[in-house]
Amino acid sequence: MMKGKAVKYEQDNIDTDVIIPGTYLKIHDHDELARHAMEGIDPEFHKRMEGRSILVAGKNFGCGSSREHAPIALSKSGVAAVLAPSFARIFYRNCVDGAYLLPVEIGHDAFKEITDGDELEVDMAQSRVRNITRGTEYEIAPIPDIITGIIKAGGLFRYKAE
Amino acid sequence: MAGKRPRTLFGKVWDSHIVAKRPDGAALIYIDRHFIHEVTTPQAFASLHASSRRVRRPDLTTATVDHNVPTTDRSLPILDNTSATQIQALESNCAEHGIPLYGIHSDRQGIVHVIGPELGLTLPGSTIVCGDSHTSTHGAFGALALGIGTSEVAHVLATQTLWLEPPKETRMVFEGALVAHTVTPKDMVLAMIRKIGTGGGRGTVIEYTGSAITGLSMEGRMTICNMSIEAGARAGMVAPDETTFEYVRGRQHTPPDIEEQIAEWRSTLHTDPDAEFSRSHTLDASSLAPQASWGTDPAMTCDITDAVPTPQDYGDGDQKKSESAQRALEYMGLEPGTPMQDIRPDRVFIGSCTNARLGDLLEAALVVRGRHVADGVRAMVVPGSQDVKRRAEEAGLDKVFQDAGFEWRESGCSMCLGMNDDILGAGERCASTSNRNFEGRQGARGRTHLMSPISAAAAAIAGHFVDVRRCELVEAV
Repeated sequence: MMKGKAVKYEQDNIDTDVIIPGTYLKIHDHDELARHAMEGIDPEFHKRMEGRSILVAGKNFGCGSSREHAPIALSKSGVAAVLAPSFARIFYRNCVDGAYLLPVEIGHDAFKEITDGDELEVDMAQSRVRNITRGTEYEIAPIPDIITGIIKAGGLFRYKAE
Repeated sequence: MAGKRPRTLFGKVWDSHIVAKRPDGAALIYIDRHFIHEVTTPQAFASLHASSRRVRRPDLTTATVDHNVPTTDRSLPILDNTSATQIQALESNCAEHGIPLYGIHSDRQGIVHVIGPELGLTLPGSTIVCGDSHTSTHGAFGALALGIGTSEVAHVLATQTLWLEPPKETRMVFEGALVAHTVTPKDMVLAMIRKIGTGGGRGTVIEYTGSAITGLSMEGRMTICNMSIEAGARAGMVAPDETTFEYVRGRQHTPPDIEEQIAEWRSTLHTDPDAEFSRSHTLDASSLAPQASWGTDPAMTCDITDAVPTPQDYGDGDQKKSESAQRALEYMGLEPGTPMQDIRPDRVFIGSCTNARLGDLLEAALVVRGRHVADGVRAMVVPGSQDVKRRAEEAGLDKVFQDAGFEWRESGCSMCLGMNDDILGAGERCASTSNRNFEGRQGARGRTHLMSPISAAAAAIAGHFVDVRRCELVEAV
């Protein structure tokens, strides 16, 4: 179970060059990486994340490069979960494989209804996202066992299949 | 075989590499070849060291430096300390684990997706991974080639395997044949992404088939598979044929039993006639015009003979698409209705894992030979590898480009992703042969137009985008 307030970007196809530009891929200090998170789309990202932990964005989130710096930068900026109608595959696996944050696929109706600032609760066990602010809830596709298994293990490197 | 379920090319490669399977369908896949580079590996080696593990198969691992290396004089020290540190980290990790490294001074150094095939390390029917999204390039050989993240790199270093969820499959048929020289594989793949969208291949492996694919060189097939990721696909593949087999013979690392392997590949590595795909698309290559992007994702592309679309036309009733086009046009500093051929680049970049092989440079030279870069345009050629550079120089291309006012650089990823000094300034507009036109990709506030090498070269000469079908082509004498 995870609870937090949402920061929402309406755009589809938010790519990894926007999440963390190539010029910062030489940085190994994760806190410094975080200072540049999303700067291509919103220089005020850090201010907006204050007191919030859920990022909501349009479809095909994280398309582009395989840089694991992208979920690291978001995670270190306080993002515990990203909710989007769909994710680019490498980004999705990077979030999970490093156990940085939880990527959650939500329906288009849920995406439309969630408004910036809404308080949300992600219930993985029940495959539901509850919008506490609006008193509604949305069904989400069940998260595959292997994904929850990797996150529980603390990342792919520690994961052992049952 | 009677009664046997028909399988796709992908299905055959996948099935033959399963080490273990979970009830939910995820499989532990054996990895035949792991390419590594300086940017996505430091953390992976750190994970390995923290758990006192060794690289399981250094002999199946190959390293080079490409992403952040300078493309200027290599006899000089690297001025950027953070780049130098990443390069040194890879050197020491490779030395410690016995991994062959084609380092900064190697005569085989180059972009990882260019040197793998050149060295004979990219083989049909194999599984290949690399911590780089454009690993899809190697699918041109009928390999299953996947871009992975750093945590997965660590897993492969330690175990030579990877947990993967089985993808769905898309068939992309290119019928007809290209207009020779002036309409290129880059135009095919841009036209495809324009048609199916940047999410059109999401979650799938795309198999490229049809007469326009089988008619291509290996280099052309690599260009197309390279940009599969730009359609959201997990990988791209082309069934190997005689063109493929001819390419893999006689290279530095070609296996000694290559002829036996070719015989096996010839009989197995193709999609069975009744195999099913979850999606299928068709495009006629013979009717394609040269393509160029106008926006900030590769689907925002049009014919070079078109005008920049209005957001409404691009959106075609989809409000969000119109809004994204509006934002893209503002970022790109373009007015709807402007003929594409009126757009004037400040910079021209011929390079990247998409389009920096010898054939690309030979085609670009067709419109450069005996001409000069237009005033106000700064143009550069960055060969994909030291081998490409050497062979290009043997063909006199360095002179052709330099006489025309192009810079002739050392090999690396360079301005494709703006990790070294080769970047666009704010507001600069670039005709680029690379693969991504995302905001800030080639430098903060830089503006990228994706196109083929010959179209980019022609833009450098004319000072504006041109329809290369109308250019006079000058062959070498």
